[in-house]
This record gives sequence, structure tokens and C-alpha cells, in this order.
Amino acid sequence: MSQSGLIPLPVRPDLGFIDRLTELAGDSFTQCYQCGTCSVVCPFAFQGTGLPRREMALAQWGLKDELLASPNLWVCTTCGNCARVCPREVDIPGTIRAARELYLLERDPGRELATAFENTSRHGNPLGQSARKRADWIAGAGVEVPIMAGLGRAVEVLFFTECYWSYHPRGIDAAQAMARIMAALGADWAVLGIEERCVADSQRLAGESGIFEEAAAANIATLDRYQFTRLVTPDPHAYNAFRNLYPALGGSYQVQHYTQFLAERIDRLSLGPVASRRVTFHDPCYLGRHNGEFEAPRRLIEAIPGLELIEMGHCRANGYCCGGGGGEIWNSGYTREHVDERLSEVRVREAISAGAEVLAVCCPFEVSLFEDAVKSTGHQGELEVRDITELLDEALGAAAN
Amino acid sequence: MSDESVLVIGGGPAGLEAARGAADLGSEVILVEQRARLGGTPDSAGYSAFALDHRPAQEVLEIARQAVLTHPLVRVHLETEVSSFAGELGSFRATLKAADGTLTEVSCGAVIIATGFDHFDPGRETQSYGYYEFEDVITLVDAERMLQAKNFVRPSTGEPPKQVCFIQCVGSRDRRIGNEYCSKVCCGVATKEASEIRELVPDCRVFIFYIDMRMYGFWEDRIYWKAQEQDHVNFVRGIVTEITRRGDRLVIKGEDTTMNRPMEIPMDVVVLSVGMVPSEGTKAVGKMLGVAQDKHGFIVPSESALDTVATSVPGIYVAGAAAGPKDLDDCVSMAGSAAMKAVAALRRRSPVSV
Repeated sequence: MSQSGLIPLPVRPDLGFIDRLTELAGDSFTQCYQCGTCSVVCPFAFQGTGLPRREMALAQWGLKDELLASPNLWVCTTCGNCARVCPREVDIPGTIRAARELYLLERDPGRELATAFENTSRHGNPLGQSARKRADWIAGAGVEVPIMAGLGRAVEVLFFTECYWSYHPRGIDAAQAMARIMAALGADWAVLGIEERCVADSQRLAGESGIFEEAAAANIATLDRYQFTRLVTPDPHAYNAFRNLYPALGGSYQVQHYTQFLAERIDRLSLGPVASRRVTFHDPCYLGRHNGEFEAPRRLIEAIPGLELIEMGHCRANGYCCGGGGGEIWNSGYTREHVDERLSEVRVREAISAGAEVLAVCCPFEVSLFEDAVKSTGHQGELEVRDITELLDEALGAAAN
Repeated sequence: MSDESVLVIGGGPAGLEAARGAADLGSEVILVEQRARLGGTPDSAGYSAFALDHRPAQEVLEIARQAVLTHPLVRVHLETEVSSFAGELGSFRATLKAADGTLTEVSCGAVIIATGFDHFDPGRETQSYGYYEFEDVITLVDAERMLQAKNFVRPSTGEPPKQVCFIQCVGSRDRRIGNEYCSKVCCGVATKEASEIRELVPDCRVFIFYIDMRMYGFWEDRIYWKAQEQDHVNFVRGIVTEITRRGDRLVIKGEDTTMNRPMEIPMDVVVLSVGMVPSEGTKAVGKMLGVAQDKHGFIVPSESALDTVATSVPGIYVAGAAAGPKDLDDCVSMAGSAAMKAVAALRRRSPVSV
């Protein structure tokens, strides 16, 4: 598909494709009237490819080949800012997701996505790490982290660590900070350890609903064996799946993102003053826009003495995407070929120009994405990227000293 | 005799024409208007140039007003509302409540509702255009006032603008805010205003950002083509999503959807083409009289192609924007039809004695 956006004539609509797309995504895309409201708030607006307005037109026409071959289809992060403003209430991210699923039914994904899918199927995580090492992060936490299988009793909090906090070095930093916060709270909690499997919501959004359903069945079977009051996770994508998709698959839990759980208990943490810094917060698309939680992370940051919370222009419901959602975390090479700037780089520049010294995050994908972007934009040493747990852990340490 | 009289609720263009029409047909008319002056929203908002003859609304409506005020069969109640209502075709009873609290009981055989519309308020939370934040973001209605005074300027500086744009469909055709309907007149009104701005400030560039331009008949033949061919108004297909401030100017962000091209254009004045919503009077009167209303509060006329003014209650008719967005021609035509149908319904009941 050329980037000029011109549809080659003659137009040969595939009406069966429209039906298949409708079965998967509903027919809301047929309501699009091409106003272009969406393509202005799309994080890729700078690229000038009409994403996602053009894709909705291709879907309406049933121009299957053009739609499936469009790079726009594969750079979209499903961040959902388009759907927020759509005057016709089109489920744009859902339609993009469905088109990806139809693509994968008959074609191979790119090498990067194929690797992530294969790793998830084979090892239970997209990073390709050994499933047996999933709980290894516990060793360095410095506090006891109970594992469900060894406890033999009900707990208040079952903590679903997810892959990046289990395996990624910067994720492990956050996981260990979380463990120390839970210890300071005296929380009655446990993790699943090696019994846990990737929730795979991002794989689903990348079009692989099969992997998601298989993982959901396995995770629900595991969770069914244990008693817990609430399920808490650091991953907004897992949170999204537990909250919105698991109930229909037979898994209904009282689910919270870790920021929500901690915000309710922030008064019980004794936090000392940390080095004084201006902090800005990046709303994760799947915590904020998709699930409506904007306040809990901010309450945590504001509770830390020494930190001043400032907002970027794009924040809350109009938050900018980090570039990692919808499976794009694994597709960065492809995106780089088709897009001039990484979203994480655009966002880092926004944080710098807002005057921030710390970019606070609460999604496991974001720390590494933004740390790379700080380097690639030449702002090394000017902007720290910290998970909120790391900032809280720092404040706990300050109080103890 | 009183049972052959017609109660007209609302004294805007439709109510004035309905009252005049029914009175000209020989019926006594009771015309009730909540404002202190007849003329309705076009009059009170001071529209600069009315369709067809392009004269100021107040001048045009003065003719309609005088026709009613001097008509021997029309009794006008200003600053008055209907406070209770009962009865059926041929024998309705209404209580009229004046501003000073005085209650008057009247009876009538038929009723015409002409309670009109309000302009959509672009400050409603789901709209993001900063109407209450930026002085230079105005509405079609605000622009009409400046155009009537023949002095179109940037509100923030009082200087003539260099670039002006209109954003169409603000508050219309938008499911998010719950108004999925087209307000019908905004395309034409914006185009007319664009031409007027070009005439008043010849070196000002004027853009209209639209989704579809919905005009026909007069609006297309005499307004749209003129704006495009003679006044060189720039029509751009794509809606503006964001307005921000840069320095002392506004910057609009949108997409030219015909070219997949993101746009960021500085503007001195941004005019929001706000649509129509039912007036509070339309919502309340419709409810009190028990006629069918749509979910917005507009009164639903008969679905018969041969009767465009009947409501769900026999003997009660509707005219003008109370029945949904309409231009002036349609309001007046509908009012004439309502007057004729109302009087005819009463005459059919009591055969004319020779």
C-alpha cells in the first residue's frame, strides 16, 4: 500500500471480508463518516497517513488487501484516543484488532511479532525466558515474598506479577520495590510464582486471540485452585483483561491495578522526604483511557515528600501513547521502518519541555521504552524514568534512615 | 365561539405566521409568548441577514409582528406561560400565567405549538473547543451580532482578523454528546457568514472545515456557489479536533481528509457552527400537553407525508423548530400548514351554517 493514501481503481470490494470483520468487531466501523476527528488525536498524526480514518474507509469498502497490507494497521498501538473523540462512536481499536486477527488467519506475522507469539506459546512469556525462572526476581527483594503453592491458605492479595516485572531487569527493580512496599504495609499477600502465565492481552490486541484464550484458560484454572480476596497486578494490559474479558471466560475477580491498591493504603506507609524533583506522570492507555483510572497514580506521587507533580499537555484522557501497546512493544523494528519518530521519543521530548526531571510510570512496558528514548533523544542525565513503586520505595528508605 | 379559537404557544417566526394565518382564516387566536417581545430567537439573537431577502431578522420579523399585533382577531399575551392544560379537540382549557403571577383561564378548540429551539451550548463538557476559555472562539450566533453591526473583529483585540475559520457540526451529528441529528441550517448560515466576512474584511482568508456540506435549493444556489466562486471561501473537508493558543493567536489542528494531510493553521477567530437543541419551552410544553416527543425533547410530528404538522394528540399541531431543526422558510411554511389544519379541524366539527 502506497503512503499516498490513494486507493487504486478499480475498487473491488470483498463483501465477505466486511462480514467477517463485523463478526469479530461489530459493525460500528460502518458508521464512520470520515470526518477526520480521530486522525488528529492519533499519536501518529505527525506521520500524515490518515490513521485510523483511512483504515475505517478501507474496512467499509471491504478493501481487504489494502487494509491488511496497510502499515497503519500494524503500527497502531490501540491506545484508544481516536475512539475517545469519535462522534460516531466507532470501536476503532476493536476494528483494527479484528483486522489483524483476519490477517493472521491467512498470512504470517512479521518476524518480531512471530517471535513474541512463539515465545508466549512455548514459554508462557513473550521474552522467551524460561518458565521455571519466573519467580527468580524474588531472591533479590530483601523481604519475604510468599508463593501461593507453598502457603496452603487463603490470602488477602494475590499479586499477578506478569512477565516484564518477572523477567525484565528494570521490571524486576519495580517488582522488588513492590515487595518491600507490601512488607512495609504488612500485607497478607502471595504471588503465583512459576504457576503464572502471560495474560497475553497485548498478543490479543496484535491479533492473536488464540494465544490469549489458551493463556486465559490456564490462568483461570490456576486461580481457581486458590482463595484470595483481590487480584492485584502491575500491568494495565493484564488489568484490562482481568476486568473486561476474564468474566466472560469464567474468571471473575475483584481486580485492582497496583496503584489503586496502594492509593487506598497510602496513609499507612511512612514516607520520608526524597531528593526534591519535578515529576511528571505518563498515563498508561490501558489504565487511564481504556479503564478510567487517572487519580490513583497521581495520589501516590503526591504523597511522596519532596516530589512536585507537574502535568504534560497530553495527560489523563488525552494522554499520549508510549508506543508499546497493542503488541507494538515487540514490533518496534517494523514501526521504525514506517514511522519517522518513535512515540516514546515524542513523549520524552514533551516531558522535557514540561520541565520534568522524573518521568513516573506505572506500566511494565514503559520504563525500558522511555529509558531508551531518553538516550536516543540525547537527554541522558536530564530525565529519570522511574516506576511509581521505585519512588515509593525510595521514600520508605528515606523514612527508615 | 370560544371553542373555535386557536391557542398558539410561542411568538417566534412560526408562531407569528401560525397566528396570522389562523386569524386570516377567521378564527380567534390567543398568542402566548414568554418573552417581553414577539419575534423569537432570530429576533432576540439579532441574526444579521435572513435567508431569501438577506435582510436583518429584526426588520423582517417586525413585519410579521405588526401583522399580528394589528390583527383584530389576535389577542397577544406577552411574558406569559401556559401553566396547566386539559381537554380535547374542540374543548381544550389552558391556564395562562403572566409574569406578575396573574392567572387567566382560556378555552380553545385547537392548539399550535411553536416553542422553538435554543442554540447548542459549545461549553458542554464533551466539547473541547475552549469556547469559554478563548475569547476569539465564538459561535455562529456571536458572529451574527458582529455582522449585523457591520464590524467583524477579533474579540480579544478589536482588530480586523487576517484568518478566520468555521468548524461545522458542533453539537450536531455527534453520538458522543447525544445529538446524532443534523441541525440543517448551520452549513448555510456558516457559508453566508463567511461571505459576509469576506465582504467586510476583504483581505481576510476564510476557511470552512466540514464533514459534509448539506445545502440545497436557495442555500446552494445563492449562498454556497457565491461563497465558493465569488468570495473565494476555502472549503476544507475534515473537521478540526483541537484548538490551542500559540502566542496571541489560536492554532487549529485538523486533517484535510482528501489528502491525508494533518493541518495546523493559525487563526484569529474560530467560529463554532453550533446546532439547534429544543428550547426549554419546547421540552416543557410538549410534556404538559402530552404530545409525543423524541429523546431530545423535540415534538414529533405525524409520520404521514400528507400531514406534516399533526402531533400525537388530535387538535394539537406543531410548527417550526419545536419539531426539530429547520430554516426559516420551512418554519414559516409549516406554520401556514398548521394554521390551516387547526382551523379546518374545528370547522369540520361544527359545520358552517349558511
